[in-house]
Amino acid sequence: MAQLLQFTITGLAIGMIYSLIALGFVVVWKSSGVANLSLGQLVLLLSWFTYSMLAQAGLPFYFGLPLVIVFALLLGWIIERIILRPLIAQPILSLITVTLGLAYFIEGIVVIIWPQSQASLPRLFPMETVHIGSAVVTQEYLWAALISVVLFILLSLYFRYNRMGIAMRATADDQKAVQACGIPVTKIFSRSWMFACVLAAVGGILMSSIGGIRQGLTETGLLAFSVVILGGLDSFAGAMIAGPIIGLVETVGSGYLANFIKWPEIRTVIPFIIIIIVMCVKPYGLFGENRIERI
Amino acid sequence: MDLPSGTRNYNYAEDMAIFRTKTHWFLLFALLVILFTAPLWFGNYWLSIANLIGITIIAVTGLNILTGYCGQLSIGHAGFMAVGAYTSVILTTRFNLPFLVGLICAGVMAGIIGMIFGIPSLRVKGFYLAISTIAAQAIIIWVIRGWTSVTGGYTGLEASPASIGNLILKSQTSEFFLILIITIIAIFAAKNLVRTRVGRAFVAIRDNDLAAEVMGINLFRYKLTAFFIGCFFAGIAGALLAHTSRLASPEYFSFTNSVLYIGMIIIGGLGTTIGPIFGVIFFQLLNVLVTKLSPALQSAFPHLPGGFTSGIAPMLFGLAIILFLIFEPRGIAHRWQLFKSAYRFWPFSY
Repeated sequence: MAQLLQFTITGLAIGMIYSLIALGFVVVWKSSGVANLSLGQLVLLLSWFTYSMLAQAGLPFYFGLPLVIVFALLLGWIIERIILRPLIAQPILSLITVTLGLAYFIEGIVVIIWPQSQASLPRLFPMETVHIGSAVVTQEYLWAALISVVLFILLSLYFRYNRMGIAMRATADDQKAVQACGIPVTKIFSRSWMFACVLAAVGGILMSSIGGIRQGLTETGLLAFSVVILGGLDSFAGAMIAGPIIGLVETVGSGYLANFIKWPEIRTVIPFIIIIIVMCVKPYGLFGENRIERI
Repeated sequence: MDLPSGTRNYNYAEDMAIFRTKTHWFLLFALLVILFTAPLWFGNYWLSIANLIGITIIAVTGLNILTGYCGQLSIGHAGFMAVGAYTSVILTTRFNLPFLVGLICAGVMAGIIGMIFGIPSLRVKGFYLAISTIAAQAIIIWVIRGWTSVTGGYTGLEASPASIGNLILKSQTSEFFLILIITIIAIFAAKNLVRTRVGRAFVAIRDNDLAAEVMGINLFRYKLTAFFIGCFFAGIAGALLAHTSRLASPEYFSFTNSVLYIGMIIIGGLGTTIGPIFGVIFFQLLNVLVTKLSPALQSAFPHLPGGFTSGIAPMLFGLAIILFLIFEPRGIAHRWQLFKSAYRFWPFSY
């Protein structure tokens, strides 16, 4: 029983981080219709950058972490400006492939600059474990969940009340109408990429403070895809709810299935099995908009 | 401009001919002579590169039928190659079937698995399909790694060399001829397939699937056919790869390979028969260049960061994909077309 509780808590907390990264996908998808397949690589790159700032350069947290956020903003702006801007109105095939190329490019850059295979960030959160009922959980999980929820609330408020946020929602709804209203659509695209990169940075920092920085961080990108597919590609609330579900299924499922199925790494395929099931049963996800196409 | 100036077609056979003029036939003959005598002047290293190019051309031609002609993006092609490789190796080593039977079975098996994972394509497209094919790749590789009793897990399976009848193709040269002949058959089949009713249905589905359905094209059947044919080619390529490298290992069929295959058809030119050939040659030669040059660069400039040699290849490949998509989305095949029309009109261009 204690084991189940432990799996549940860690699963929910990890799932919150997936939601956060998935939100970055949803923001870009909603505003510009680009499917960002380089999400995992962005997480990896930004985690390594954090490592450079905090561990290699030895900056204090109050200076190093804002620097990472600034770098993420810059990275998002550059990606949108240089790579995605020339491809506006291209078929979805090109848009998907260009992010795959970007993913490959980032992976190369990461290997060149940080050749070591793994590293760990300096401790961001206190060491002491917390006892919840009969489960023992390290504080990192709770902090991760807390930060994710706070960021989600902030983002929702931004999209509800800020002028730019409202413009972004409008762009998601109808690009031409927004353009006719005099809102610069390209600015909104670059804003959404900046958001996506910041969310990837925060997600990466939280993930690597729990498990260290590894090549495997790119798989969080794949997990984020299963989150958006389960939640629906164009739904913020969907991503926020589907994340913990995926996290829960991943940890609880792999925790118990490992007793029955002796094949290694069952954890890595669970999200894919979920994807296939969702595709066959409810392709537009739990909260996604069921698009009706016209000829 | 498909034909040189002044060439006119007077009947259907002339209109459909792939090689229309005497120059075409002469160039084809010259190319075949060069290819079939290649082992005389290529060393073993370049022959092995040529073999790899041939195998990749088969796989990428299949992907081109699926993605370039039918418009169904598949980012799991290496996974389907793995299915073919393991099918053929298991049939030839465990059940002692002849190589050619194993090869055909590899294609059929990969095609069937591809069709199973292609079923979602009827309901979803674009990003959804991309993700479901990524899932296919991950699940296939996971099964191969986990099902140790059949597939050998991480270490892989040892494969016997290819053989036809009593002829065992062991040397690099004989493998080169085998791969060359199969590649030619594959390209020829692909070229003709896309001119048939099936191929035209694929193009209709790619351009507008709703209109295609209204015109009476059975979407489900043709999309699954595209998956079957594309994965059939992949299976053949995978089997050849396993038999020529004497090993079927999950390492050969990684996710990065799947991404690279997509990059190859993009760079070569989507929806053209010659595109995959250009794309594959471009990527493999770039790879050779990088593996040859980067250690030299590393020793010449000691200040380069430590991961330079291993990181430069993915970086350049990613960069090539991005640059081609931005500046020449129609790929090298389009440039080749421009070049051909330029020299045909020379010196009286428009």
